[in-house]
Amino acid sequence: MKVKLTFLLAAVVAMVAVLSACGSDGGSGGDQTFRMNLTAEPPTLDPALIQDQVSSTVMTGLFEGLTRNEKGETVAGMAEKWDISDDGKKYTFHIRKDAKWSNGDPVTAHDFEYSWKRTLDPVMSPPAPYAYQLYYIKNAEKYNTPDSGVKVEEVGVKALDDSRLEVELENPTPYFLNLTSFYTYFPVHKSVKENPKWAAEASSFVSNGPFKLESWQHNDSIDLVPSENYYLKDEIKLQKVHFVMIEDPNTEANMYETGEIDWSGLPTGNIPTEQLAKFLADKNPELSAPATASTYYYVVNNTKKPFNNVKVRKALAMSIDRKALVEKVVKGGQTPAYAYVPPGIRGTDKDFREEVDGNLFKEDAVEAKKLLAEGLAEEGMTAMPVFEVSFNEGLHKQVAEAIADMWNKNLGITVKTQTVEWKVFLQNRTSLAYDIARSGWGADYNDGMTFLDMWLTGGGNNDVGFKNAEFDKLIKEASTTSDQKTRVDAMAKAEKILIQDNMAIIPLYYYTSPHLVKPHVKGIEMDYKGDIDYTRAYMEE
Amino acid sequence: MNDNDTVLSVKELQVAFRTRSGEVQGVRNVTFDLKKGEALAIVGESGSGKSVTAQSIMRLIPSPPGMVKGGTIQFNGQNILKKSEKEMEAIRGKEMGMIFQDPMTSLNPTMTIGRQITEVLIKHQNMDKKQARLRAIEMLRLVGLPSPDQRFSQYPHEFSGGMRQRAMIAIALACDPTLLIADEPTTALDVTIQAQILELMKDLQERLGTSIILITHDLGIVADMCDRVIVMYAGKVVEEGTKDEIFKNPKHPYTRGLLRSLPRLDQPKDEPLIPIDGTPPNMANPPIGCAFCDRCDFAMKICTEVDSKMITHSETHASRCWLHHSSYREE
Amino acid sequence: MIRFLLRKTVNIVLSLFVLATATFFLMKAIPGDPFMQEKNVPDVVRQNLIKFYGFDKPMWEQYLVYLNNLIHLDLGMSMRQQYQSVSDIIARSFTYSLQLGLVAIVVSIIVGIAVGLIAALYHRKLIDKLAMLFATLGIAVPNFVLGTIIQYYFANKFRFFDVAGLNDPSDFVLPTIALSVLPIAFIARLTRSTMLEVLSADYIRTAKAKGIGSLTILIRHALRNGLLPVVSYVGPMTANIITGSVVVESIFGIAGLGKFFTMSVSNRDYTLIMGITLFYAAILMFARFLTDIAYALIDPRIKMMKKGGGGHAAG
Repeated sequence: MKVKLTFLLAAVVAMVAVLSACGSDGGSGGDQTFRMNLTAEPPTLDPALIQDQVSSTVMTGLFEGLTRNEKGETVAGMAEKWDISDDGKKYTFHIRKDAKWSNGDPVTAHDFEYSWKRTLDPVMSPPAPYAYQLYYIKNAEKYNTPDSGVKVEEVGVKALDDSRLEVELENPTPYFLNLTSFYTYFPVHKSVKENPKWAAEASSFVSNGPFKLESWQHNDSIDLVPSENYYLKDEIKLQKVHFVMIEDPNTEANMYETGEIDWSGLPTGNIPTEQLAKFLADKNPELSAPATASTYYYVVNNTKKPFNNVKVRKALAMSIDRKALVEKVVKGGQTPAYAYVPPGIRGTDKDFREEVDGNLFKEDAVEAKKLLAEGLAEEGMTAMPVFEVSFNEGLHKQVAEAIADMWNKNLGITVKTQTVEWKVFLQNRTSLAYDIARSGWGADYNDGMTFLDMWLTGGGNNDVGFKNAEFDKLIKEASTTSDQKTRVDAMAKAEKILIQDNMAIIPLYYYTSPHLVKPHVKGIEMDYKGDIDYTRAYMEE
Repeated sequence: MNDNDTVLSVKELQVAFRTRSGEVQGVRNVTFDLKKGEALAIVGESGSGKSVTAQSIMRLIPSPPGMVKGGTIQFNGQNILKKSEKEMEAIRGKEMGMIFQDPMTSLNPTMTIGRQITEVLIKHQNMDKKQARLRAIEMLRLVGLPSPDQRFSQYPHEFSGGMRQRAMIAIALACDPTLLIADEPTTALDVTIQAQILELMKDLQERLGTSIILITHDLGIVADMCDRVIVMYAGKVVEEGTKDEIFKNPKHPYTRGLLRSLPRLDQPKDEPLIPIDGTPPNMANPPIGCAFCDRCDFAMKICTEVDSKMITHSETHASRCWLHHSSYREE
Repeated sequence: MIRFLLRKTVNIVLSLFVLATATFFLMKAIPGDPFMQEKNVPDVVRQNLIKFYGFDKPMWEQYLVYLNNLIHLDLGMSMRQQYQSVSDIIARSFTYSLQLGLVAIVVSIIVGIAVGLIAALYHRKLIDKLAMLFATLGIAVPNFVLGTIIQYYFANKFRFFDVAGLNDPSDFVLPTIALSVLPIAFIARLTRSTMLEVLSADYIRTAKAKGIGSLTILIRHALRNGLLPVVSYVGPMTANIITGSVVVESIFGIAGLGKFFTMSVSNRDYTLIMGITLFYAAILMFARFLTDIAYALIDPRIKMMKKGGGGHAAG
């Protein structure tokens, strides 16, 4: 008996050894394949339905809009040139003749008209969540509203012929060209009409970008290969882009170390926090943490006592040590924020933040304490009630606890912290059922409006109940003028009202996008908003 | 006496058990013989060592914790205590068979009765399945089970208590062993069934010529079935004799006490029963002298110091008691 | 036999129905909906979406529509994964989970029984003590801790295996280990204690008295009786492995169903939540059902199938 069992054990060990020998090729460059982690399965690859960064990262390789982003500039894409009317409300795009779909069909202006109208269709199946990105177009919003009586022919986009696309806007929108490089503005092939499920499988997928979809193993991996029909195919040096979908940051870290992926971290991956801190401290050459145009802030319920009092809000804002927060808690090389529009957003000639003063308030614990007392008195309260800072799962907990601690030390108040499940958290925040909550906002396009117009009275993303007529007026001015300098001035003033005068929200820091990239990977672009463009990348031998 | 028909000869067997609280002496110096065709009863109360003796004959005592400290067991001319385990496997079920007290737990509940019989036949007599099945059914018929071919495919829980014991007998006798050891075979059965089983065993013994060792604490059974009787107390044989000798002329005080304590049908209802006072000794620390003396009406000084040898009263009758020693005779 | 099967099937269907109803209403009762994102969509768009999915209809009507679809075995389309039907998602993902799960179950049973058996046979010796120590650790150490550790050492540091995925046979080794350690520990302990009990049973003594060899006794007599509790553990074990797979699949990057189990709730992807819940419930019930059948097959004392004679007869 003993002998038999020992033999069995030995057999098992031998089998495991053999299995392990046939596994693990480790995988690495040498071939022109770029490997990256998406973390999750893209909910969709249909430009009309896209809503999240995982989908958009894959789409960057698959599609191209009228314009493209190259090294931070908006350059020609599917449209080789365009004419803009004097009032800035009419654009005529000239589609290049050699633009082709991945199946060889030419890309025409009709494709764009069809696609945008499709996205705006109120009974699209399912309706497009990001349709509002197209609302700049004349009658777009009305058409998207069912029972509004506006017919599709009235929407301001029309193909004059195969190569000319005429677009009419509601208002002169100086950043419209930048918008046309955005995912929602990508074209789709006409054949999608016949097959609504075209975007769910590689076999039926047609796209017009530098790559085409070779395979989509749902929930597991996506492979892109260069499209022979792309007009700039000579610029494309990669032979394959391989996306994996690894949920666990530790697993991602392991895969990066073994070379199974070439890129780890944002925009779609995650570096475990403690490792990130170590990499930063060691000045690991494979790590970069470029600033991205996103802001991390706390929303304060302006409709609830005592947060309705501006002095109370200012006191809270001024008694946080942002430097300590960034260095000791978040540890990603972020920048403390004393305004709302982050660096990276265009101003008139330079960066918005370079032209507009970003120090709208100062940290001052003593002054804060004074203001708090005054504010409470104005509200007829003698002491600050115990309130709650809420947030969803993640690093936010440590941030909140650090801040609660600072408030306790500097203002002598007691603050509770509470993790709330994601959707419940969103619901509470939108319905103003909270005291203070964590929030973050990233740019959709390269203009200050992407950060400021959300605070209009009654705005869908105005989660604080901010109501300011002067602010609204300035925003309207900035959205209806075409002169950039006027616009920037108006936006600067609006930001001042929001933060300096009213402290409607409490800015904390501007994001960075920490990531690790293997030294042999070259040519990857990260744009101002932290999105990755791998289309022109290559592997150095 | 070395007869050709002595089937089993146990000499000065000593078996002990190693436990946490020390060594427990289970069997202290047991000697007896068994002839061919004979039915021998080993009588005693719980803890007397009778089951251990019987199981030792088949080397069924697990060791550890049990160990044979001395003595010999000769069976059919073979030295049982020197056999290897493999050799014992060849003997068990083939030359020796055993049936146990509780047939419900002693039969495998998830195996058909038939299979439990054929298993023995296939192993020891190299029969194939078909032959074994036929023989098994024959055995079932032999032990008095009706519709034996149906019974063959049934499970123990489908049998009544008495039927199960019959099945056990069928299993034990399947290979026609020389010796059958029956360890309290009727203790767990109704009185009426008891009689039937004993009847069966007697019948089979006559027909097959099997030697039987019947272990029991019930003297009533002994009277029915056995030729000779051995009485054990505290690991030793205290008296042996023929049935007549033991019942009509018991010598050892313990035997006398046993017989006296038997309730009788012709006793008046309200007459009290006569038990033996006291309890058996602790076998972890057995007494030096006679183990029965503190319960014995006739205890003498020497009883506490030295235990007597077996004193013969006739060719077949002997007892271990100073009362009968020539120097100590009081009568 | 037919009656038994029929009864069980009806049972399962009824249970699933109750489960579907409970899940439906619980799900709708939680705050939040599939459409809320960090960046809120404007009301117009939100209304379009609500209308499209029929959420503007009264709750009972939504429930009836859902029930109707269910009866036609239509689980609907996922609300988050566009154009992917719930059945496709489940079928696809479950293929991975099933492979891993089956391997883990088989390994758990074989290794667990082997370890338990060895421990019982060498009772009180060093092997027994070591085996039980291992079993205790196996139950105590959470599988994500174990998974992370073996991944780090064997895939990263020593490069014996790939870190993630199920692309070739060697990829099964680490996740199977992480997934089966707990069931192995349970089965080992169960087997050991049952076997110890069985080995000291009277009928084992009888078998020995028949001259049957110890290996044969073990296999033919002891195992069958000793494995009954293990068989009845298969049900809970399947549950363990399914829930354990959520974490293990995440750590080893396996495209299984476990990920969707929790993610669908986070996303309030109602159709997917319902589909997965019912699917898992069906699997568990099926596992229990198999266990019942296996049990009845092994233990003839369970009156599920009436063979020939049957019953008792007078002495």
